Order: sequence, then C-alpha cells, then structure tokens
Amino acid sequence: MINDICIGMAGSGGDGIVAAGEALLNSAAAAGYHGMLTKSFGPQIRGGESSCRLRISTQPVLNPGSELDVAVALNWDDFLKFGSELPTDARSIVIYEESAKTPDGKLPLKIAPGEAIAVPIAAIARAHGGDRAKNTVVLGLLSAWFGLAPESILAGMRKRLKKKGPEVIAAAEQAFQAGADHARANPLKTARLMAPPAARQGVWLADGNDLTAAAAIVAGCDFFGGYPITPSTEIMQTLSRDIWAYGGSLLQCEDEIAGIGACVGASFGGKRAMTATSGPGMSLKTEMLGLATIAELPLVVVNVQRGGPATGLPTKLEQADLFQACYSGHGDAVRPVLAPTSVADAFRVTVDAFNIAEEFQTPVIVLSDQEISQRKETLEPIDTSTVQLVERRRPTPEDLAGGYKRFKLTPDGISPISHPGLAGGEYLAAGIEHNESGAPASGGANHQRMTEKRIGKFAPLLKRRELFLVEGDADADLGIISWGSSAGICREAVQTVRQEGLKVRILVPYLLYPVAEEIFSDFLKGLTKGLVVEQSYQGQLYRILRSFITVPNGVRPYCRAGANPFRPSEIVAQIRALAQRSVP
Amino acid sequence: MSGACNDPKTFKSDLKPIWCPGCGDFGVLQAVYRALAAIGRPTHEIAFISGIGCSSRIPGYTTVYGFNTVHGRALPIAQGLKTANPDLLVLVAGGDGDGFSIGGGHVPHAIRRNHDLTYIVMDNQIYGLTKGQLSPTTPKGETTVTSPYGSFEEPVNPLLYCLAYGAGYVAQGTPADLPGLTALIEEGLRYPGFAFINIQSPCVTYGDSEMQMKEQRAALRPLLAEGHDGSDRIKGMDLAQQYGRTLHTGVFYRNPTPPPTYDQLVRERQADQGKDQPDRRRALDRFAVRH
Repeated sequence: MINDICIGMAGSGGDGIVAAGEALLNSAAAAGYHGMLTKSFGPQIRGGESSCRLRISTQPVLNPGSELDVAVALNWDDFLKFGSELPTDARSIVIYEESAKTPDGKLPLKIAPGEAIAVPIAAIARAHGGDRAKNTVVLGLLSAWFGLAPESILAGMRKRLKKKGPEVIAAAEQAFQAGADHARANPLKTARLMAPPAARQGVWLADGNDLTAAAAIVAGCDFFGGYPITPSTEIMQTLSRDIWAYGGSLLQCEDEIAGIGACVGASFGGKRAMTATSGPGMSLKTEMLGLATIAELPLVVVNVQRGGPATGLPTKLEQADLFQACYSGHGDAVRPVLAPTSVADAFRVTVDAFNIAEEFQTPVIVLSDQEISQRKETLEPIDTSTVQLVERRRPTPEDLAGGYKRFKLTPDGISPISHPGLAGGEYLAAGIEHNESGAPASGGANHQRMTEKRIGKFAPLLKRRELFLVEGDADADLGIISWGSSAGICREAVQTVRQEGLKVRILVPYLLYPVAEEIFSDFLKGLTKGLVVEQSYQGQLYRILRSFITVPNGVRPYCRAGANPFRPSEIVAQIRALAQRSVP
Repeated sequence: MSGACNDPKTFKSDLKPIWCPGCGDFGVLQAVYRALAAIGRPTHEIAFISGIGCSSRIPGYTTVYGFNTVHGRALPIAQGLKTANPDLLVLVAGGDGDGFSIGGGHVPHAIRRNHDLTYIVMDNQIYGLTKGQLSPTTPKGETTVTSPYGSFEEPVNPLLYCLAYGAGYVAQGTPADLPGLTALIEEGLRYPGFAFINIQSPCVTYGDSEMQMKEQRAALRPLLAEGHDGSDRIKGMDLAQQYGRTLHTGVFYRNPTPPPTYDQLVRERQADQGKDQPDRRRALDRFAVRH
C-alpha cells in the first residue's frame, strides 16, 4: 500500500486531460483524500498542449510533489513540451498511448522509468464512445491500477453528465470500465495500491484566485477595481459575479492605473477596496501606491506573480516581484507586503491584508503567485465565524468638533480618518505633502514629522509573530527560510530530513516587508548554515534580509529563475549535502 | 460645516490660493462656490476630486471633501468614489494637460460609463505650474518654452472629443462671464449623468494675450444668441468645430432624455442580486466537496 501518489498527464487541447485530472481530484477529495492539482498549458488561446499534475495523499500535502510516480502521455510531443514540469525518474511508471510509439521504438525519456506500459487508449476509447472518451479510459486505468476511489469517480461522472441524459452516462461508464478492465488484465509488475483515506469531517476544494475572491467577501470588501491580466483575472471574474449581492460594487477599468485609482477613490469614500493584478500591472499601479501611502488610505493590492520582466512568462511561476513590492515608487515609503504559501493560506492572508490596511491606513500588497492562484487544493473547512475584522479608526465626536485634523500626529502615528458623507470630517486629501489638517505644506520639519508618522506607525506590525511560521528543531545549526509557494516545498523537505534524524528548522514569513528584524534575527541565532529558498534569479528575499540584518555567512541563497519549480526531493538533497558540509 | 448651504461663503476655505493675481481660476472658484450654493447640499455630502496642475489646487479652496490626487487620474478616482458612494455629489476638476494629455485615456471611459459626475476643465492652452510648456490645447504654431520655434501639433478639441464619445452634457464657459459660467456649472451638477464643462480660464503669466479676460469678454459668442438651444447633438458638434477660433459659451449639448447613470444601474444590480441578503460569512460554503 502507498500513501502518496503524484500523477502527471499531458495531451492535446481536445483530449480533456485537465478535465480528467480535475475529476480525479474531486473524486479523491470526496472519498476523503488530500490532494492538489496544478495545470499547465501551452501559449495557444485554444487547443495546443495541456497538462496537469495531480498529487493525492492520505496526509495533508504542501506542494505538488517531486518526480512523478505515474506519467500519462497521450502523445509524446505534447508530454515533452512540459519538460521539468513533468519530471520522471527510475521509479516512475509511464503509461503511454500505444500508437504514439517513437520511430526507434525507444521511450523519449532521459532516465529509463521503472515501468513503461503502452496502452491502446485511443482504440479502447473508440470502441466505447469515440475519441472524446480517451480521458475517461485514462481514469479507468488509473483507478484500477492504483486503487483510486472508483465509486467516487463514477458518482462524480454521473453527477457531471446528469443533464446530458442516461445514454451519455452509460457510454462514459463503459469507457471507464473498459479502462479498468484493461488495467486488471495487465497488472503492474509491482502493485501500488493507495491506502484508504482516514475518515474526515468535510473536505473543501479551491484554487488560490477563487479563494482569494471569496476571502475578500468575508473580509468585508465593498469595492473592486481592476483590469484583466493573467494569472490574476479570475479574482475579478469571481467578484464580478458575487460582490453585488453583498451591497458591493466593481469597476472593470480601462487600464491598470484606473483600476487601482478607482480603489483609491472608493477607499477615500470609506469603503474596503481591493484590486488584483500581475507584474506588468503592478508596474503601472506604482504611482497610485504612493498616493495611497501619503494620503494614508487603506487598500489591498494582490499581485499574482508570473515570470518577468515585461510580458515575461505570463502563465508560469516566478517569485521575482519582491523587490518591486517593497521598493517600487519614489520617495520614502513603506508598505506592508504579505505572501500566502498555499491555497489555504490565501484565505488568512487576504483577511490579514484587509485588516492591516484598515488598521494602519495603508496600501498592503499580497504577493500571490501563479502556482497558488491556479492550483486546486483540498483544504480543511475554514471556520469564518471566528474571523475578526478590523475597522479603520474613525473620528470621535471630539475629533470632529471644530478643526478636525485628518493627519493629526498621535502617539502611534495613526490618525482618525473620516470620509465623504461624515458631517464635520471634511478635509483635503492630497498627494502633496500636508500638515496635520491636510493643507499643503512644503517645510522640511513638517515633512520629517509626516514621514516619521507614515513609517513609524508600522512598529507594532513587526512584533506580530503570528505572521511567521517556525517549524523544526530549536537547537539546529541548519535552517531554511522560504516564502510563497516555495515554502510548501521546503516545509515538506524539512519534515523528510528530520525523519531521517537531521536537525533542521524552517522559517516561513507571511509578512515580508517591513522586515521584522527581530523575528528574523531570532530565527537565525545559532545557525551556522542554511538556505534561503526562492524562485527568483537574484534571490530577492535573501538580499533584502542582508540589507537589514546580519545573516550568517553559511546561510546562502538557493534560487533560480521561474518556470522550473523546486521539488521537495531537490531541497532534501540540498539539505543533506549542507548537513554534511562543515562550516569554518 | 458652518453657514447655510445656500450661501456661497459657506464653501470658501481658509486656504489662500497659490494662483497668480488675475488668474482665470479665481473666477472659476467663485463660480463653483455660487453653483454649489445654488444646489444647496451640505459640504459633507460633496466631494471635489482633482488631478495635478494649477487648476487642480481648487478643491483645497473649498470646504467640501477634497482630494488633490495625481496627474491625470482624477476621473478614475472619482468614478471609484461615486460607484461606492452613489449618494455623494461629485465634482472633478483639472487642467487641459491633466485631462487631455496625461489623463486623456480616461475621458472616453468616464463618458461611456456615464457616472453622475461633473467634470470641469480649466483650459488655458498652456502648462502653467511647470512654467509655460506646450499643452494639448495650445494652438498650432504657438511659441512656448518647449516649442520655441512654434508648435508642430494640432490641438485637441476638448468639446468635440467629449461630444464624440457621447457625453450627455457638454458646455463651455469663461470666468469673463461669471453669471453664465455659474449657471453652466449648476446645470452640469444637476444633469443626471456625465457632464463636461470646458472653461476658457486665462493664464495671465504664460498665456496668449488674445485669451486674457478683457479680450475674451469682447469675443464672447453665446450659443443661445446663435439660436442653439443644446438639444441637437449633431448641431452642437458642428458648432464645437470652431473651438480655438470662436469663443462660444453655453451648452453645446444636453441630452433631453438622459439614460440611467452607472450609479443607478449599480444600485439596481445590488438590489436584485442581494434580495436574499446573503451572509458574508457563508461566502466559503461553496468550496465544500459534495458528490
């Protein structure tokens, strides 16, 4: 029995391979397994090659897994286009379309797999409903060979096809059974059956963009302004369907600048506002971030990172917008930057972002990434009844009685904020430097005080240890720091090496900026070696940390450009090697 | 707020304008005070959004909620504000550079969405705050500090631009005719939809001598006197072609049957979609896996 399986599948657009992956994940989740699904497509608008990676486990999973246990190739051209996204090794079982044999009869894989099985998938499909049934045949094969929830797959299929009538359902069932029969007639050399899942109380399934949009609703988002951009667009799409019912509103704007501008306007009007974009959009929104900073207006800006610069790699993972999030824009400005590490995290991080924005009257950037935004993941049910929403500090009647000062210098740097509609709270908001009342002021002493106020107000944020996750051995001399979707890979790698007896600890910051110097320094204390793991060529978090705190010489960046994600097995190997190295 | 909503003085703030003595924007400011008094809404129910430039300083000289934003972006900010807070009376202001150069891309979209906004552009055919450069409405051939041998470019026609995109209310005024300008702004504020008022506001420091207050007064050609009542959009566009040559004042076009505004449609959708009054805390329920 096995407890964890990674399946990668590729085919042409019409093969429905991604739909098969989704059906399998749904069925596995309904049966009680944990799992996740990542999808990858070629650059074509329609058709072209498509693939998915599916991981199913009896235990919670933190990432899409390492090398594939099972690879399914409906044709080799399409499969090979995904390269490092669908890695096989000497343990993998490779299932491929029989008619897709290469001219020399050899498998086009660098490493010979553990087992290679040619299956007449297309021929079986044609005998049971035609070419379109290929993906259903694949589901039958996988279900029988690996013991993956056949009843649940059939139940899901019946539900999905209900509207199409009993004949369509019967044909699909036949195709599925034909695949399963073929598998039973041709058993694997070594059986690999999944262990049954533990009983669970409810399972949820979501992708990062969808959960972010729903989290915004829970967090009280009243307004969304934005512009379509891959891979963030689904956030706007979901909210354009859902936000109205809660009394909210949405503007799909003429450009990225107008998208964030509309949010600045809504926030000035006292509403909780959010925009979402990706790197190129962030570049355009930069000036407005500065405006929201100096006018001290709450605002949530989600950047679903993709490969850059410029158009870069619109559909691929990269974590290279951290410098931009922290430092883009002119002038002395600090704005909080948060990053989820998984789909599940997208909920708490989105709620935290709204709360931090409102509490500190600031734009907050959420650095999601392509992987989190698009992958589907099982989650434990989230209890929204305990979610606390923070409101911006409103003026008291005393504040409003004669000479309301919007930018009053208070001990904590946070001034009561009024909004149009509130009598007595009239003020001038401005991008120009201003005094406590809001009147334009260009004096140096005032500018010093106001800058101090706008940056100093974040001091309490730096003490929030709940925005950091620390796991592992407190007495280890080896440590890992990782953020965003790379963090889930590193957490699993750390678990694996600790089971082997190595002492390691890991820090996962959800708050990346301003740099919580004390929390990072506490973690690094006692470490002589370690890795800062991130999917950016320059190792942006590593460099930012170096500019704020003393990082031990033995703690090095482990990073590379995007589109070639880390795997737990790779990080495990790095940690093992590092553990054996003596540091002078 | 102190003072009555129908008293222009109620809307005057304590800030002293940075404008040059004799600047046309002083007259525009007076007209805004008077128009707001004529409307009679309390200061806290009014928001005045501007971009960057001499004229964009105007919200600070009023007692309503003001927002002096960034260059060229007043319209998107105002639309977000109005969408989220439809009960507010929202004015937008800027100069010709703010509205038709750096922010020119926002104007068509503000018009086609048809929020209930009143957009006043103080058009002086020059960049004043940066001291005298070529602007999008500077006449061709004009010498400025960045066109020292004369400009090569045809100017934008703000009136035709807004009429072409379908603005429901398009007018032109000048502080040289203060009662006329006040009436145009008031009518724009009362128009239910996007209203655009181009104001020929002379720049005394860098502006063309023919565009000064005294010269304007002599050149005024009220549209009403020409027999144009503003109900015919095509005729309004015909007259608007004379922008830069004839100083027409008055209403080029006022849609006699204004369509619903964006804000109205938003409210209708909210009422329709929200009739079951869903609970925000249940927004995640749809993620539960059921077979």
